[in-house]
Amino acid sequence: LMSVTEIRSGFAAIKANIQARDPVRTLSILSHPHSLHKVKSSDRCCVTHHLFNFYVEKVFKHCKTEDSFVNRKISSIANSFLSLKRKLEQCHEQNKCMCGQESTKKFQQILANYEGLNVTSAAFKSLGELDILLDWMEKSH
Amino acid sequence: EDVLLPAPQNISILSTNMKHFLTWSPVIIQGETVRYSVEFQGEYEREYTNESWIPICECSLITATVCNITEDISATVAYNLRVKADVGARRSEWGTLKGFFNRITTSLTPPLMKVIAEGYHLLMELEDMGPAFQFCVLYWKKGQESRMQQKVVKEVSSVVHLDIMEAGSDYCVKAQTYVEAINRSSSFSHTQCVRAQDGRSMWL
Repeated sequence: LMSVTEIRSGFAAIKANIQARDPVRTLSILSHPHSLHKVKSSDRCCVTHHLFNFYVEKVFKHCKTEDSFVNRKISSIANSFLSLKRKLEQCHEQNKCMCGQESTKKFQQILANYEGLNVTSAAFKSLGELDILLDWMEKSH
Repeated sequence: EDVLLPAPQNISILSTNMKHFLTWSPVIIQGETVRYSVEFQGEYEREYTNESWIPICECSLITATVCNITEDISATVAYNLRVKADVGARRSEWGTLKGFFNRITTSLTPPLMKVIAEGYHLLMELEDMGPAFQFCVLYWKKGQESRMQQKVVKEVSSVVHLDIMEAGSDYCVKAQTYVEAINRSSSFSHTQCVRAQDGRSMWL
């Protein structure tokens, strides 16, 4: 999927900067307690849909930096996410992206991890884990 | 009291092959150097960050009346763009692009290509148009258009090998670009034909 490639190149350009803003490396938003790779294939679409909503609605807006280049790349990533989110919404509306108990539970865990930190730290940590999401998406699609 | 400068006018986008440029008419102030600054706003900014604008630092306080916005228009959503003018402490209102710009409207031109007959090998060279571009190549033995073959070239690195030709036969090739990010293709290039001969090619 071209947008994922574009997101990955945008993220690669700011990854070090973003991850440097996340001092607590022992905690994970996406991988605690279980990795995304444990999500069953039947739940993948729903988890992906949830995660796109999560990044668009909760994460990016709290990732404002003093660096104009970083802000521009975050805008690129956010707009690409929005574009993909729209496509996933179409799947959801056509009942091709059903949410089971497992996927809902997995997403609740991610939200709990996120809300366990202050909003800016949680947002930068989530953004810093973008490659975990992209790797999982490319591996499982 | 500082008089406002006139806002830049005739703001428009030139977009070809996924390269996007914002242009505008110069603001003329006798004896002064007018400088311009450009900002953009994606759909995300409109919906989730209170319609915030993001400056393009390569186009901040520039004297040119064109700005390369390709790097920032990197999603297939609707973008807003605006320009303001400055002379010293005086500045203008923002001039905003009429309507949105979505890269899906970029104009796609057929690729430049060169077809080569090297002995019995049908080869071609394609223009490197950037990572967003793939190519659909059609080739056939002249007179046998019904048996046209297709090859998709995802990355342009070197010469593309298309086929082994029959001695003395003419082979023809045409190509178009495909951009996955916007799911659109260019029109086909002109057809180029070569003749398989002993190690020499002759343009027809």
